[in-house]
Amino acid sequence: MLAVESLGFGFPGRAVGREVTFGLADGEVMCVLGPNGGGKTTLFRTLLGLLEPQEGEVRLEGRPLGAYARQAIARRIGYVPQGHAGQFAYTVREVVLMGRTAHLGAFAAPGRADREVAERALALLGLETLAERPITQVSGGERQLALVARALAQEPRLLVMDEPTASLDFGNQVRILRRIRALSEHGISVLFSTHDPDHAFLAADRALLLAEGRMIALGTPKDVIRPDTLARMYGVEVEVVPLAGGGHTCLPAMTG
Amino acid sequence: MSVRRASYLVAAAALAGLAALAFGLGRYPISVPELFTLLGAKLTGSEHALSSTAETVILQVRGPRVLAAMVVGAALAAAGTAYQGMFRNPLVSPDILGVSTGAALGAVLAIFLSLGILMTQAFAFAGGLLAVGLVYAVGSRLRGHDPLLALVLTGVVIGTLLGSAIALLKYLADPYNELPAITFWLLGSLAAITPRDLASATPAALAGLLPLLLLRWRVNLLALPDDEARALGVDTRRLRVVVVACATLMTAAAVAVSGIIGWVGLLIPHAARLLVGPDFGRLLPLAMLMGAAFMLAVDTLGRTAASIEIPPGVLTALIGTPFFLWLFAVARRTW
Amino acid sequence: MKRGLVLPLLLLLMVPVKAALSGEAVADATGREIRPAAKVERVYAAGPPASTVIFAIAPEKLVGWTRALRPHEAEFFPEKYAALPELGRLTGRGNTANVEVVLRARPDLIVDVGSTRASLAELAVQVERQTGIPYALFDGRLEATPATFRALGRLMGDVPRAEALAAWFEGELADIRARVERVPQEKRPRVYYGRGPAGLQTGGRGSINVEVLELLGAVNVAAEVRAGLVAVPIEQILLWNPEVILTTDPHFWRRAWTDPAWRATAAVENKRVYLSPHRPFGWFDFPPGANRLLGAWWAGKILYPDAFDIDLRRKVLEFHTRFYHQAPTPAQLDALLGEPGVLGK
Repeated sequence: MLAVESLGFGFPGRAVGREVTFGLADGEVMCVLGPNGGGKTTLFRTLLGLLEPQEGEVRLEGRPLGAYARQAIARRIGYVPQGHAGQFAYTVREVVLMGRTAHLGAFAAPGRADREVAERALALLGLETLAERPITQVSGGERQLALVARALAQEPRLLVMDEPTASLDFGNQVRILRRIRALSEHGISVLFSTHDPDHAFLAADRALLLAEGRMIALGTPKDVIRPDTLARMYGVEVEVVPLAGGGHTCLPAMTG
Repeated sequence: MSVRRASYLVAAAALAGLAALAFGLGRYPISVPELFTLLGAKLTGSEHALSSTAETVILQVRGPRVLAAMVVGAALAAAGTAYQGMFRNPLVSPDILGVSTGAALGAVLAIFLSLGILMTQAFAFAGGLLAVGLVYAVGSRLRGHDPLLALVLTGVVIGTLLGSAIALLKYLADPYNELPAITFWLLGSLAAITPRDLASATPAALAGLLPLLLLRWRVNLLALPDDEARALGVDTRRLRVVVVACATLMTAAAVAVSGIIGWVGLLIPHAARLLVGPDFGRLLPLAMLMGAAFMLAVDTLGRTAASIEIPPGVLTALIGTPFFLWLFAVARRTW
Repeated sequence: MKRGLVLPLLLLLMVPVKAALSGEAVADATGREIRPAAKVERVYAAGPPASTVIFAIAPEKLVGWTRALRPHEAEFFPEKYAALPELGRLTGRGNTANVEVVLRARPDLIVDVGSTRASLAELAVQVERQTGIPYALFDGRLEATPATFRALGRLMGDVPRAEALAAWFEGELADIRARVERVPQEKRPRVYYGRGPAGLQTGGRGSINVEVLELLGAVNVAAEVRAGLVAVPIEQILLWNPEVILTTDPHFWRRAWTDPAWRATAAVENKRVYLSPHRPFGWFDFPPGANRLLGAWWAGKILYPDAFDIDLRRKVLEFHTRFYHQAPTPAQLDALLGEPGVLGK
């Protein structure tokens, strides 16, 4: 699905990251972990084609990203940014409907088929009752769900989610993680970033650790999320505790 | 019936009513039966008993003026709607990139050189387009800033520059002759509208309107942050160019024939949005209806209330300011 | 000689000496006593109406024009005066003169002719204080022109010339009034004065812009409007239905013939739309100074052809000779009076 080769990314005059290499298969879920300022958002923007790569290459379905038109990228990759209120009171349904743009001609407006796709996305995220509410009047969590629904309305094959669980309550966090797993079962690849290493254990097939723009580790969560890597990224002492049933969880040391 | 549907009907009805009223009102007294007789005669091609002056008033004076008021109001409202969406700010007016100031400079220059009405309009039109072209050319080259902020700041700077050029011309103008003419133009007026003005302004306004109508769905996406819109598949740069070009064309066409009339482009889209929400496809027609009705009401008042003309810019500000403050106080926080 | 007589004689001798050292004190139109220096040789005109009056009395004393003469205006003046420097204007909206420029011209007297409103009187006092040069303000209305001439004559020490001009001007005004009186009310046409390229601005009752009309006792259709320059809707003009239209704007003059709205007026129907000449100074409206005497003759002839059976060419010749000190050539007269719209379409 996605192949990243020795990617150097950043802004004109300022390099943010170097030598990032990984691949993402169809239906695979990858979690990107890293401290603030480590370059996660910049990396995502480069993968979406919103920023020019400075070095290396990004290939989407085998072809270089630069070879795609903007709309063609949008038909394949959906982006879920961190939600914010925005100035205008579009309804939740209208916001989700915006996701159909990638499939519309320049002068077209959404038709019946597009509305049905949007409805299904709303249903999938449990947003039917909120559909007519202005997006400016829903809670942060509901807004985030609406943005996920919008990305789903794009019918992408890859979903890039920038800290989708930030500012969500615990229940909503869990719902999002479950949604991510469900998407993966449908064959949609997901790339998401988070600050909580446990999310990688819960939802990801593989994890990429990014600090100061460099890949520290890449592999299954079990393999790469270890006390030493966590200490290196976050500067705190953490114990990785195995659980009955095969999972793991992180337990930070509260003293010392 | 929902508020939305009611809004359209009320606006359309109000416009039709106002148009009929405007045809019947004026300093030159023409009764309603006379009006119908005249229009009927014209439609059927038969004779009528009214004086030729009455016919001239209806067909050559009031007719074009009523239509022009509607076109100007609709054009300004449409431009304001487009800009407010594009700049993601409901407090934006069509002049944010300097089209009115540029048009004013063109017109003032033409008056200063005593070039006559036709040239004044042409200069105003060209001035408006050139000003925005300059702002866009400079603003979009400023890298490393939010593109919209760069445009706005450039617009402010260049607008100020053009404003000082206007001030200079006013200073140098002959105070007995050119200066009063300049002052009258800057106050805005539809008093001198001829059928020819209408014939030149309307196509330009339509030319600006058509792409906006065609792109009405996509324009909604400009309300999103740039990254999101692009990730959804929109070429934001190109779309912005089109929106700016269209809104500028419409505003320049309006300002060329009517001078500077403020508030319409700021207030009407705002009020319309409160009624039907921000979806551009729904908002644009309502804003245009309301803009046309508002402008028509203001202009009719200005030409009938006294034996002298009251500048429409003065009236729109007088009516617009308290109305705007009321909207601000009463409306929900969201737009 | 008796000793008792010496002192009075000495005092008597002082008077002419004193008079020679400082000029005669004259009251200007605001009532201020103006006391110029001994001999006034250089006079600065603060605005165009003042320029015409001062130039008429003593062209050699004018230090400069408020705005440089364009070639088509300069041809009416003797060359040496046409080439006087441009010094800018001190009053009227849009002041362009710099007090330093005024000082550099070293005038003995500053004169302004026009409105005598309090704000302009204050300006006069202020400039006088700043520069130490006496600043006289006079009324620019046509009726007040003879008095202005006389006062200026005394101020400038050019009484004979000024008196001649004043007397002549009075005679002209009297002649005009007498002719106007002979015109019965019903023979006075309704007049509209249109300004601006669309002709939709006019002067209301008492406005300085239509002073000529009021001198001629003409019926200004816009008289119902308060004084000043106002914009009127075309419908209102159609309602007034003027029989004669006067204008100073050539664009409007052309447009009146083709615009369907204007064509509905009696004036256009009867082909009575006239364009005021404007060289070197406007005849009818601006600048609002003594130059409008010609406008009065011109408009009088247009409005009351029977009572004003005058030779306009002779009037122009006379006016130019007295005011601009150069008699126009027949060709120049032809050009002035032959411009389209001056005497008819």
